[in-house]
Amino acid sequence: MRRLVVLGAMMLSASAAVAADADYGRMMGQTCAGCHGTNGVPAVSYIPALAGLKREDFIKAMVAYRDGTRNATIMNRVAPAFTDAEIAAMADYFAALPPPALAPSFRLAPATTE
Amino acid sequence: MSPSRRDFLQILAAGASMTMATGNARRAFAQAAPHVVVIGGGTGGSTAAKYLKLENPALRVTVVEPNRQIYRCWGSNEVVTGHSPMAEITVTHDVLREKYGIDFAYDRVVGVDPTARRVSLAGGGTLDYDRLIVSPGIDFVYDETEGYSQDVAETTIPHAWKAGQQTLTLKAQVAAMPDNGTFILVPPPVPYRCPPGPYERASLLVEMFRITKPRAKLLILDLKDGFTKDQPFMLGWNRLYGFNIPDTKMKNMPADVVTHSAPGTLEWVPGAAGGKVVSVDAAAMTVTTQAGETIKGDVINFIPPQKAAKLAYDMDLVDGRFCPVNGETMESLRHAGIHVIGDAAIAGDMPKSGYSANTQAKLVALQVNRLLTGQDLIEPMYSNVCFSRVSAEYGVSIADVFRYDRAENKIVKAKDAGGVSPLDATHQINRMEAFYQAAWMENFEVDCFG
Repeated sequence: MRRLVVLGAMMLSASAAVAADADYGRMMGQTCAGCHGTNGVPAVSYIPALAGLKREDFIKAMVAYRDGTRNATIMNRVAPAFTDAEIAAMADYFAALPPPALAPSFRLAPATTE
Repeated sequence: MSPSRRDFLQILAAGASMTMATGNARRAFAQAAPHVVVIGGGTGGSTAAKYLKLENPALRVTVVEPNRQIYRCWGSNEVVTGHSPMAEITVTHDVLREKYGIDFAYDRVVGVDPTARRVSLAGGGTLDYDRLIVSPGIDFVYDETEGYSQDVAETTIPHAWKAGQQTLTLKAQVAAMPDNGTFILVPPPVPYRCPPGPYERASLLVEMFRITKPRAKLLILDLKDGFTKDQPFMLGWNRLYGFNIPDTKMKNMPADVVTHSAPGTLEWVPGAAGGKVVSVDAAAMTVTTQAGETIKGDVINFIPPQKAAKLAYDMDLVDGRFCPVNGETMESLRHAGIHVIGDAAIAGDMPKSGYSANTQAKLVALQVNRLLTGQDLIEPMYSNVCFSRVSAEYGVSIADVFRYDRAENKIVKAKDAGGVSPLDATHQINRMEAFYQAAWMENFEVDCFG
């Protein structure tokens, strides 16, 4: 990937390189969707949504899973597969996706008067 | 090539010269709206169709599938044990059709012309494609074990390795098993669909037996000496089911492993101990192992060796028992313009799992769109995540990321990552993995079909 990015920066215009990175981020991010939901929005919320996650929060979490400073079930095994550049590309992809709307059950019931 | 296969492949060859005249016009239209045909509306095919539309809504996407209802395999072990009803694993294509504008042809493919790029259907229709994605699934090899046959599988000794009628047959047999009965489970040789599946099935059945039939036994007669997640499974079995872990699997086991003086309900006989089943007698309800033992089972769940589905053979996509593909695009190495995904494909280090089929489908959707719109291919990445339940509240998992090794043209596991649940996982983690298994299944169903 690092090689790809360097090559990209040399050969393509800046905007094309950005587009290539966006495609790469989306391609990698889609491998997460089996658990975290299509476009980063899970159907059931026990597995966290990734859509709309702040870029720096995604990076911080992935790096912590990778170096073992944050414990999880499977993410400590998944995160080490990705380079810093790949994590950043996925962070950009998820940050740009619209976050899930709150489910109605999470909202306060309207006040009622007896 | 067999005559029937030649017929299948060239069924439209006689009409080829006729279509040449209109070919240019058709191509011009195709350029305006490229048409991707997907054969198979299961986990892989449905995901591919959905992600093609997500990637480029302008594409025309048609899925050819004989069944309006799909019984997904993931979750079918829970149907056998009665944890969930058949309805839980029944899915339709309604959302894919209505929300994403995917066309469905509920029909059988009777011919494919890879040169003219045309699929012909049993109902008489034809579909011209710019790219074809095939996700045909698996079929079974019935003739390698004495006494075993397709007829035996469909009557007395169900494999239940494709969800459907056999799932319900096995469920009924389990329910009717005597309280002190013996359930014999025979896992298949690799490669096969859902590598941890037989062992999860054994786990959930034993969990059930300990409540409903405490004197019952479950015997796994294996031709292998190990299996995916074997250590996490065995650790769970030791903790929950009185299973004694063999010495060969004791490496790095935690301190709480005990030797049970009266081993419980579950026994695993590996290949090295003669566990391979060499013959089956459906009338006597016995199996005979390589060790020479003949064992009677009240229920026998013999899961046969597997191969790519018949359609893949008909389409001449198979080499050996599965379909060789280019790891960058999953395009067949035998016929250009045809991509093979899911359990039928030879996908390097990737296991034959629903999750593998799902990430292969997404990658192919992306690459196919790039090929059809004149963009460079993207450097692929795939993943597999698989949770299994040792019990309703104890889960184990395997997770891996895969890259494309261009020099070897092979999909390979990412280095220094992935693997199975750690043996020193806390009870909280074991519990969360069972919890996430259920959440994964709900999310995964929507990612594939909704």
